[in-house]
Amino acid sequence: MNLNMDKPLRRVTIFALLLIFALMVQVNYIQGSQAEKLQTHKLNNRQFLDVFKRPRGKILAGGEVLVYSKQQPNSENYARYYKDGEIFAPVTGFFNGGASGIERAYHSLLDGRDKRITNQRWFDQFIGKPAIGADVETTIIPNAQRRAYRALAQANPNLRGAVVVMDVRTGAIVVMASYPSFDPNEVAPQTGEKGAKRLVELEGKPNDKGEVNERNKRLKPLVNNVLEDTFFPGSSFKSVIAAAALDNGLNKNSTVPAPSTYTLPGTNTQLPNSHEGGACGGAGQAPLILTFAESCNTTYGILGAEQLGIDKVLETTKKFHYDQRIEVEPDLRTVPSKFPEMNQAETALASIGQGNNTATPLHMCLVAAAAANDGRIMKPYLVQRVRAADQSVIEEADPQELSRAMSPGQAEQLADMMREVTRTGTARNVPQLAGKTGTADFDGVEYNNRWFVGFAPADKPRYAFAVITQGIGSGGEAAAPIAASVMREVLKK
Amino acid sequence: MTSPPDRLPEQVPVATQPRKGASLALLIFAMVMTLAAFAEVGLARDGRIPTGLFGYGGGLVVLAGAAYYVQARFAPYADPLLLPLATALNGLGLAMIYRLDLSTSRDVQDAIRDGKKVVTSGLASAGTQLQWTFVGILLFAVTVLLLKDSKILQRYMYTLGACAIILLLLPIVPGLGAEINGARVWIFIGPFSVQPGEFAKLLLVVFFAGYLVKKRQAMSLVGKKIGPLSLPRARDLGPIMVIWLFGLGILFVQKDLGTALLYFGLFVSMLYIATQRISWVLIGVGMLALGVLVATQLPFLGHVNQRLSIWQNPEPYFDGGCLLPDGKVVSVAPGTEPYIQAGNTIGSGLTACLKMGGDYADSAQLMKGMFALGEGGVLGKGLGQGEPWRTPLAFSDFIFDSMGEELGLTGLMAILLIYALIVQRGMKTAIAARDPFLKLFAGGVSFVLALQVFVIVGGVTRLIPLTGLTTPFLAQGGSSLMANWILIGVLVRMSHQARQPAPQSIQDEGMTQVVSLR
Repeated sequence: MNLNMDKPLRRVTIFALLLIFALMVQVNYIQGSQAEKLQTHKLNNRQFLDVFKRPRGKILAGGEVLVYSKQQPNSENYARYYKDGEIFAPVTGFFNGGASGIERAYHSLLDGRDKRITNQRWFDQFIGKPAIGADVETTIIPNAQRRAYRALAQANPNLRGAVVVMDVRTGAIVVMASYPSFDPNEVAPQTGEKGAKRLVELEGKPNDKGEVNERNKRLKPLVNNVLEDTFFPGSSFKSVIAAAALDNGLNKNSTVPAPSTYTLPGTNTQLPNSHEGGACGGAGQAPLILTFAESCNTTYGILGAEQLGIDKVLETTKKFHYDQRIEVEPDLRTVPSKFPEMNQAETALASIGQGNNTATPLHMCLVAAAAANDGRIMKPYLVQRVRAADQSVIEEADPQELSRAMSPGQAEQLADMMREVTRTGTARNVPQLAGKTGTADFDGVEYNNRWFVGFAPADKPRYAFAVITQGIGSGGEAAAPIAASVMREVLKK
Repeated sequence: MTSPPDRLPEQVPVATQPRKGASLALLIFAMVMTLAAFAEVGLARDGRIPTGLFGYGGGLVVLAGAAYYVQARFAPYADPLLLPLATALNGLGLAMIYRLDLSTSRDVQDAIRDGKKVVTSGLASAGTQLQWTFVGILLFAVTVLLLKDSKILQRYMYTLGACAIILLLLPIVPGLGAEINGARVWIFIGPFSVQPGEFAKLLLVVFFAGYLVKKRQAMSLVGKKIGPLSLPRARDLGPIMVIWLFGLGILFVQKDLGTALLYFGLFVSMLYIATQRISWVLIGVGMLALGVLVATQLPFLGHVNQRLSIWQNPEPYFDGGCLLPDGKVVSVAPGTEPYIQAGNTIGSGLTACLKMGGDYADSAQLMKGMFALGEGGVLGKGLGQGEPWRTPLAFSDFIFDSMGEELGLTGLMAILLIYALIVQRGMKTAIAARDPFLKLFAGGVSFVLALQVFVIVGGVTRLIPLTGLTTPFLAQGGSSLMANWILIGVLVRMSHQARQPAPQSIQDEGMTQVVSLR
């Protein structure tokens, strides 16, 4: 037996060197291919530390500069300015180290640290030139956005509201207004400590003295009502029940029950119609299209709870992505709308947009968009293109189909029903539009959610919209005129 | 001179020429690199050549010069690379610690203001590190001077082995040792804190080498053969059982997985070198796996599970996470939604975790280290231009990540290559040595260095679970620096012995010299 140790020593040497080789491979993997991922990791706060020292890119809409950065006098920090801040805040968001809206969704591009910019400018980076942020061009039509915001502010300054308008053929959001809003200039980097305190106040959280701004706590000005909160959709939800009915063998002229009252199954509660007479009157039954135009509660309560049943209604709500967080831009999503599984009486209430049923304005807008676009829902988006500092296009919106919620035939029938609403039904005051009104009135509060969800122009649909305001009165009286006014501005283009 | 029984007859001296010139040239290069690193730190951070350049850089130059003199004078045939490589690592580490010294001070003040407990021995201090470098290089010189024949160590192997055990047990002694950062590896003597494990490591190599040289015949030749494996006798298994239990003991009592792994890996590799029996390696690895498996099952050793869990996915542990008994990980970081159990809000942090019956850990340091590596990218931020101080312990456990941020992938590859070269030169010394004890000893110390680099660097780069070991020569800390300089001294002395011309012409120093009159 040869007990010379050279052979095992050589083997151990190879093993020891393999250990170090494994370290080399790992370091190459981490620093070579994972560096970008680590730099933009959500827990890595380094990316937010020097952001004030770099000029951020602009945010534009329709050729107008909405947001821009400028170096502060006698400082190496950059200030950020927002034109018509309150009006565009739901779109642009704010930036103060943390961010919301597009400021957040496009942070790495605006900031200039995105790989697509740094790769292009690798030599500049190599010689230590600072990164220059890219400009983000939104799909917003500025004047329509202004009109929408002012209409909401006028409708009721002490309650909430939202307007969203979407191009049904591409999914481009052209108006996204939310009331109440806030001025991002008040919390921009140049405001320093004051801005940070203002942000706490806007959030409705207690400040360092323990005081809470009650108005902000109630009205949530930082929340984008189009995406980030849900409201009782009221009768505007009848379009979803109508779509479910069309999908389950009925057509717009089918005869459906329309009694003057409906006793909720298993209870003694009477569900009345909002008005007597017409289709919802005493005849007991009427064509589907007329019950839609006149918004008969009993018809849709019976359809949802008994004729279709919870399973079929749920199936349809899913087709409209009701339970999903719809992604508009990276990190900019809706909250899910809610239509839970429940008993018959609750289903009847939810079918007319009350009870356990709450929706975001964008979800409702997508229902109208499907009706207006042969049943197809396009993925909503907010950014048309991103240009680097040298004006080269880094990113261009690419319209994508999110899903087919209805067949073209069903979509056409639902569109006809929406047209009937403005022809003979609850919104005869806006004949140039088509849509469904909604008036959700709920216990304990003296105001209603007033909705108008539809599309324009009525004959040749191009845009879908959802409008909600809060106050006394009905959707037809209060929301439909705002929709008409905004759509006039949108269609001017 | 008597030949060891298994000495190769065809063994020839590896080199007969002293390589003093090469060594000096490389050493000068290492010094220039260090001085340039100091200058760059000053220029980048403060905008001027640092005033410390002559103090710190000059100090290192004088020390390394003295070390070179001792090596050239007393071990002229030594491997020319070892001293320059060690000097380069020591110098780079010193420059990085100097770079971090001032930056950390603000963090310290913040910590003091926030009322956090500040461990004064845990802060970057270039001055202290220079002093330890001085002591380290002095020990190198003393080792080269005094260790005339490394074989002398074999005579004292049992004494040294006992010393190693005592050193390892010292931190457990109440009043002497204390738990820092979750591991009980320190002892405190007056103002000094020492990690005795660093020295015990070297002594254990001596003991293993001596013991295995004596027993290896029996261990490798006697035994049952089952299939391709030949199993050892039960009584030869005894020592490995002892070491195994010992490693587990360290794991249990000192909560130090890294050290346990280090000793065990060291023992198994030396066993293999001595006996050439792959069965020993398999038994060793199997037993280690069994030990770790047992450790993961024991409730009071939850930290082993947790290390594995953090390694797999550190994100939920950022700023505090809680590993529940059912294996789920819940974030208990401040600011996250307080975990609600049975309708009661139980707050956040350690308290919340304890109330849920889980194990608390924080991965923020590991993740911040990874972020530092990401920041560095391929070319690095440049020495003095990054923000490595954002990682806690950026100057000790995480100094490799700090290097990665400022020197980039390029710099880290260079550092890893230096380690690889030291290991390779050490192994080469082992192969060139003529005596089995010296072979085993040199092989052991070289392997332990490689394994230590693997465990700590692998930990901070998330190749393997993170455990606490020092990064040889780079990390701040006197014990580690002294032990590693002694290690280099031993290798230098052994490589001199191995490479010098066979002693027919010149007798060992101190004996009567036979002078050729021709």
